Amino acid sequence: MVGLTGRVTGKVGAGLVGEVLVHVPERQGTEAFLAYLAVPGDPLPLGTQVVVVEYQAPRTVFVSPV
Amino acid sequence: MPMVIGVVAGAVVASVIILIVLFRLMWRVAEPNEALIISGSKHGDGLGFRIVTGRGTFVLPGMQVVRRLSLDLNEAELDVECVTSQGIPVHVKGVVIFKVGDDSVSIANAARRFLDQQKQMGLRVHNVFAGHLRSIVGGLTVEDMIRDRERLTGETRAASGAEMEKLGLIIDSLQIQEILDPTGYIRNLAAPHAAAVQRDARIAAAAADRAATEAEQEAFARKAEATRNSEIQQASYQAEMDTASARARQAGPLAEAAARQEVVVQETKVAELEARRKEQQLQIDIRKPADAQAYETRTRAEADRDARISSAQAHARETELKAAADASQVKIAAAAEAEATRVRGLAAAEATRATGQAEAAAVEARGLADAEAARALGLANAEGIRARAAALAENQDAVVAQELAEKWPEIVRAAAESFGNVEHMVLLNGADGMGEMFAKALTMGGTGLGLARQLLNTMHEREQHPAQSPADAPAPVVHQVRIEE
Repeated sequence: MVGLTGRVTGKVGAGLVGEVLVHVPERQGTEAFLAYLAVPGDPLPLGTQVVVVEYQAPRTVFVSPV
Repeated sequence: MPMVIGVVAGAVVASVIILIVLFRLMWRVAEPNEALIISGSKHGDGLGFRIVTGRGTFVLPGMQVVRRLSLDLNEAELDVECVTSQGIPVHVKGVVIFKVGDDSVSIANAARRFLDQQKQMGLRVHNVFAGHLRSIVGGLTVEDMIRDRERLTGETRAASGAEMEKLGLIIDSLQIQEILDPTGYIRNLAAPHAAAVQRDARIAAAAADRAATEAEQEAFARKAEATRNSEIQQASYQAEMDTASARARQAGPLAEAAARQEVVVQETKVAELEARRKEQQLQIDIRKPADAQAYETRTRAEADRDARISSAQAHARETELKAAADASQVKIAAAAEAEATRVRGLAAAEATRATGQAEAAAVEARGLADAEAARALGLANAEGIRARAAALAENQDAVVAQELAEKWPEIVRAAAESFGNVEHMVLLNGADGMGEMFAKALTMGGTGLGLARQLLNTMHEREQHPAQSPADAPAPVVHQVRIEE
């Protein structure tokens, strides 16, 4: 999962639990994950391209903007 | 032997059939929307069961149990009674679309929790979200909920995310559909704005209606104008069509009439030519002969008339000549008679003249004697006159008297001519009678007779008074006598 890119579908920011859609090649589909900021900073608005920095099974990822 | 072969073949076939049946009983295939949860065998992941998705696997009947977990989408209706931080009760309605996660951990979590309660999955999710919604709405105001639904959604997702993760579910969609306000707070909250909006809407609607009405009326006017123009054009075109149609309809009769006219013209010309020919023929057949006959008749009549006239003239001439002859005869007879009468008259006159001459000779003789005496007297008188004339030489009247005296013979001659036509004259009363006769003759004689008569009277008075001397004699009186007298 780490290194995969996705797109913000729910606002990701400090104090918020956002949502990103990430394509998972091993399951040949795009899945939604709960997303947190990997590095504290500005919130990521909808549509921002992100990369998965850390993955916590089963549905949580830490992302940073591309 | 063949029997053995048949048995063997049958056993093989049966074995194959049995193997196929066993295979069918042992081979299980997972559909795309489901996961096979196979329990009863050891598994390397320590899960205690095996998860198969999207492929087939052998299952040992009797030793392993296969359960199917649906990976389909599920939906949970949210209908939660909440109270905001302001203490206002609201009714939040929403929907959560969720499914079992595709990863093995999520499938395992979901399998452990919902494998026999898959139909109650929605209820469980509803309960989870209802609790989180109440807690979240309790920390928000109505205005925040209305104006920032994303925040409500995000906090709800954040709050429920971990729990859903434990359940092996993922949220595909979370929608807050409506926020009902039984107390009318939201409506009252929106009332001023709604009124303003309504006002603006009414204003805009009125303006739009006015603009629409204006546009509509303008459109009507233009439509009417266009209709009018169109009708005018249509009428014009119709008129042109009618005109063309009328012309087309009249073209045939017109051409026929023209042709008929041409025919009539030609017929008229033919008739005229025919009439002219007939006239000429009549001229030839009737008029000329008639004229000739008339001319003949007239000529004959004129000839007859001329003949009759000539005959009449000849007859008249004859009659005239005859009358003239008769007249001449009568005239000759009359002339002869007249000549005879004249001869007889001449003879009688000669006799009478001879008689008269004899008597005249006698009278002449007496007259001569008297005349001699008178001459002597006259000479004396003449001498007296001459003397007087000399005395009066200077007098014009005396000259005139002298001239008259000189003309005296001509006067006497003129007077004598009065007697020229007298064939037979008888003198009575002697010398006085002679004097009167001369006086009358002189009166009849001509110019100056009045003076002569005066002279004669003077002479006669002088004869009666000869003693008077010329010196004593009064001055002669000259009378001017008008010629007409």
